[in-house]
Amino acid sequence: MIQHLPILAIMTYFLGAFLTTLLGHNSKSVRWFLVMLASVASFVMMCLLIKPIFLDGGIIGYWMGGRAPEAGYAIGIGLEVDALSLFFGLLVTFTVLLSAVYSIKYISRDDAQDKYYTLFLMLAGGVLGLVLSGDLFNIFIMVEIMTFAAVALTAYRNWAEGSLESAFKYLAVGSIGSSMILAGTIMVYSQVHTLNLAQISALLAGQGLTNTTVFAFALLFIGFGVKAFIVPFHPIAADAYMTAPASISMVFSGMVNKAGVYGMIRLVYVVFQIMDVKSVNYLIVLLGTITMFIGVTSALNQHDFKRLLAFHSISQIGYVITAIGLATSLGIAGGLYHAMNHTLFKGLLFLCAGAVFYSAGTTDLDRLGGLAKRMPQTAAIFLVGAAAISGIPPFNGFASKWVIYQACYEAAAAASGFASIFYAVVTIVGLLVSVMTLASFVKVSQSVFFGQLPDEFDEVKEAPLLMRIPMWIMAACCLLAGLLPGPLSRFALQPAAAATLNIKGYIDTMMGGGYAASQMGDVTPVAELDFSTIGYWQPVAWLVLFVIIMAAVLIVALGSQGARGNKRSTELEKVDGKYATFFGGEHSTYSMVGGSDLFWGLRYNLRHYFGFLSDMHSGVVNDYALWAVTAAAGIILYMFLFL
Amino acid sequence: MDILMKALYLLIFPGLLYCSVAGLLLAGIDRKVVARMQKRIGPPLLQPAYDFFKLLGKETIVPAAAARRTFLAAPVIGLVSLVVTAVLVPVFGFSAFGGVADVVVILYLLTIPAVAIIMGGAASGSPYAGVGISREMVTMMAYELPLVIVLLAVGKAAGDGGVTFSLSKIVEYQQANGPLITHWTMWPAALAMLLVIPAEIGSHPFDVAEAETEICEGALVEYSGAPLALFKLSSAIKLYIMTALFSCLFLSGWGTGIVAVDALILVAVCAVIMLICVSLVRAVCARLKVEILFRFYWRVVAVLAAISLILAWLVG
Amino acid sequence: MFKKLIDNSTAKSPWIYHINAGSCNGCDIELVAVLTPRYDAERFGFKLAGTPRHADIVVVSGPVTSQSKERLIRTLEQVPEPRVIVSLGSCPRSCNVFKGSYSVEGPLDKFCHVDISVAGCAPKPEAIVLGLAQAAQLLKQKREEAAQK
Repeated sequence: MIQHLPILAIMTYFLGAFLTTLLGHNSKSVRWFLVMLASVASFVMMCLLIKPIFLDGGIIGYWMGGRAPEAGYAIGIGLEVDALSLFFGLLVTFTVLLSAVYSIKYISRDDAQDKYYTLFLMLAGGVLGLVLSGDLFNIFIMVEIMTFAAVALTAYRNWAEGSLESAFKYLAVGSIGSSMILAGTIMVYSQVHTLNLAQISALLAGQGLTNTTVFAFALLFIGFGVKAFIVPFHPIAADAYMTAPASISMVFSGMVNKAGVYGMIRLVYVVFQIMDVKSVNYLIVLLGTITMFIGVTSALNQHDFKRLLAFHSISQIGYVITAIGLATSLGIAGGLYHAMNHTLFKGLLFLCAGAVFYSAGTTDLDRLGGLAKRMPQTAAIFLVGAAAISGIPPFNGFASKWVIYQACYEAAAAASGFASIFYAVVTIVGLLVSVMTLASFVKVSQSVFFGQLPDEFDEVKEAPLLMRIPMWIMAACCLLAGLLPGPLSRFALQPAAAATLNIKGYIDTMMGGGYAASQMGDVTPVAELDFSTIGYWQPVAWLVLFVIIMAAVLIVALGSQGARGNKRSTELEKVDGKYATFFGGEHSTYSMVGGSDLFWGLRYNLRHYFGFLSDMHSGVVNDYALWAVTAAAGIILYMFLFL
Repeated sequence: MDILMKALYLLIFPGLLYCSVAGLLLAGIDRKVVARMQKRIGPPLLQPAYDFFKLLGKETIVPAAAARRTFLAAPVIGLVSLVVTAVLVPVFGFSAFGGVADVVVILYLLTIPAVAIIMGGAASGSPYAGVGISREMVTMMAYELPLVIVLLAVGKAAGDGGVTFSLSKIVEYQQANGPLITHWTMWPAALAMLLVIPAEIGSHPFDVAEAETEICEGALVEYSGAPLALFKLSSAIKLYIMTALFSCLFLSGWGTGIVAVDALILVAVCAVIMLICVSLVRAVCARLKVEILFRFYWRVVAVLAAISLILAWLVG
Repeated sequence: MFKKLIDNSTAKSPWIYHINAGSCNGCDIELVAVLTPRYDAERFGFKLAGTPRHADIVVVSGPVTSQSKERLIRTLEQVPEPRVIVSLGSCPRSCNVFKGSYSVEGPLDKFCHVDISVAGCAPKPEAIVLGLAQAAQLLKQKREEAAQK
């Protein structure tokens, strides 16, 4: 039974998608029932896999239609679920579940909802299929399903400004990525005459690197890079995240770009096994570092809530890529940990942006302000998310970033010469990016939730309960994931990190025992991973601290007198001038510091750099395609020169 | 018993009580010394304490435009995180939570008080506070880069070939090899750290964020009474923590071994550091503009720290 | 004990907020002179605050012109209790030479209760220090009265 669960989970999504189109056209309740059933069922199935895979350390191989390999060649389509796949599978199904709950209310004012849910489930099925698949061509198909569903969902609110345009950009640049993956798949097939990941892995390791495999690796790497939206493929992500509905932006940043990350990990660590090649490490770390820096500095400049979040999404993926590029056990674990945390806190922030959009009708930072008085719960949840993404203890962002810094700096200490300076600079950039992240969230909180409340938003209501529930769940997860790094790393991160290096087990599960040894010769056993430093950060002390803070805050909040409720500030000022804001003696008038005017000192000093950035994000799809192709050419050249 | 011990650390020594007293004392010394430099008699040594207690007795006004809960919670969060930082900074050989005393943790914890001021200011709904938090954030980004590099340089120098993020390891290294200030490679880093301290605590040439003569105390403009008192206490504690951190990074490795005596010595050392980098600079300099401040930290101080980092790599 | 500590501190740390209600700037200069090395009011804990929310003592100078009246009242309202209002110079007492002008609405005690009044055109710094010192004592007294109620 257990080995059927992965395929069932994928099929549940696709079946749900088809049934929604067939039956969900007229009836709201049928539609919701189908979507909830599909997302809950898939999530439960993934959870059922936790015990055999995470806890018992098993790997599930599954041949569709029972077509096991014949004469040493894998002909059938295989699914293979090891701890790494399951880790991402859990992230996917969890995100889909919460996003589905959120969508019920969030999307209720739009028309063509059955199309929305159909595409939504197609997207979910595509990503889940990608992470669970054991077949390279199957992965390509899933990438295509995922990309086209994502493009259509980006344009879902086609009445909104720029949504069709950004969908088109996504389509254009995304297709470049997809075709790279296809081309890479063909190259690989021409070398080893099989499409099964496990067998490719075994045969490639036996052959060593040839020019064709280097080319294939470069193409696949670029393809997944596009799907993970690393710089310079990122401008499409910024546009798509901004114009898609918030529930979909959450899914994009929570799992669609994770699919790219997953593809990279699989490629580097399992299929091509070139994690020991230093030049590949440098390239990945360099790309990751550039991604996180450009992402965050672009975000500092934005004045739209969701576009700002989109750039942060790019920036945080940079952290993940950097960490997995280090190719140390600590790095992999830190990267996976951060990938998980990113799903949690970025999903949370996108949901907050969605709640603001739902209630106030805009996400423009220059127009919003003071919403904490009208939407106190959303504001509180937003603060949790902002603290988490900026890496403020005790939330999860801190824990995973800490592991990443540690990994970077240890890599620096272990390396010599130029490489060690390079890794040290990466650490410094990482810490700096963290501060800049904080800065841009200060900007958001000042311009959306605090500051003065403009009159046009005076009647704004708190988001409905059905939207708040997923937000609260994610906020709680952010805290828990930060407080329990020990159990998390023992039960999820360590198995997943170990799975990336357990190539022999991965091959033998699919191809039969001893296959890896017969093709690869002497198979190096799984390296003993050293996780001793992960638990070094003691969260129990932080739990105590957190309780103290909460108690103190409660005492202050309850003990202070003169609660003034939610009356309009202008009315209250008429009653008693004491509570008026100090304006140098003048009447309080609306004079808000606009979101895009904050951090003037920084922007003035870095004006040339910011000018370069805004030239780079020209908004013209030709430019973006050109960036993508040029970068692809550069990466391919690099691979040929140094691999 | 363990929890009781931890509570004791947190509340008495080296936590709340000790660092408040030390911080208020240091702030008093600072005010007195600056007054003497300007040929004034100056306030009594306990003036910051008087200010603190007076503010506790004042009325607390929450403006109608403010987001009430955030407005009131911000000073508490800032204070608590500072107290925790104080517990993590070792007093010479003595360190309350040895295992957790980590440079990166401290780096992040030190951002929380600034964030608390920013959140509080943002929640107060005043446009002065809007300008103030913008400046505070730019200041923070300005000094954070050199601070990060300094900490990494020290971590490298004290890492014995490797690298350490642990403050207690840094102290142990200095016990074995003498204070890091005696290593010439660390001099630029020490100088950079000395320049980071006044910006971190927001003292005079770098107090753009609270410029009371131009933007009415910036983020604190709407605060009164007890929350303001907590902010004032926080800035005094920050004075202690930053100077103690300096002494831990560069001047540590000795001490008598008797905790009470060490604590007194540490306060004296802190006072000396503070006189050099805070009082002296405060008495002779005029306030910088925010863009000049940013440029100064990224162009001068960061480069100083980076020199140390590279030297530590080449020599060590 | 705690209460006593606060009571005693109240007199030792008075923060001043200065409002110019149409003054000729003479008194304002004298007030600043009080903080210079020669008189050094900081030895009593006096400090100029940047905002009325931080203030204990509000020093008002000038005859209260019609332009400044509203602003004056609004700012005075924003000072937290306990507070003391000190009028500085002759203008807020009697409007001085500006009395009868079309634009003068003073004196100050039409609009609020004046606790301490320092006379002179302009008052000597010694007089200002004395007035402020008395205001500080009054501050403590007000706090104790409020506590009894």
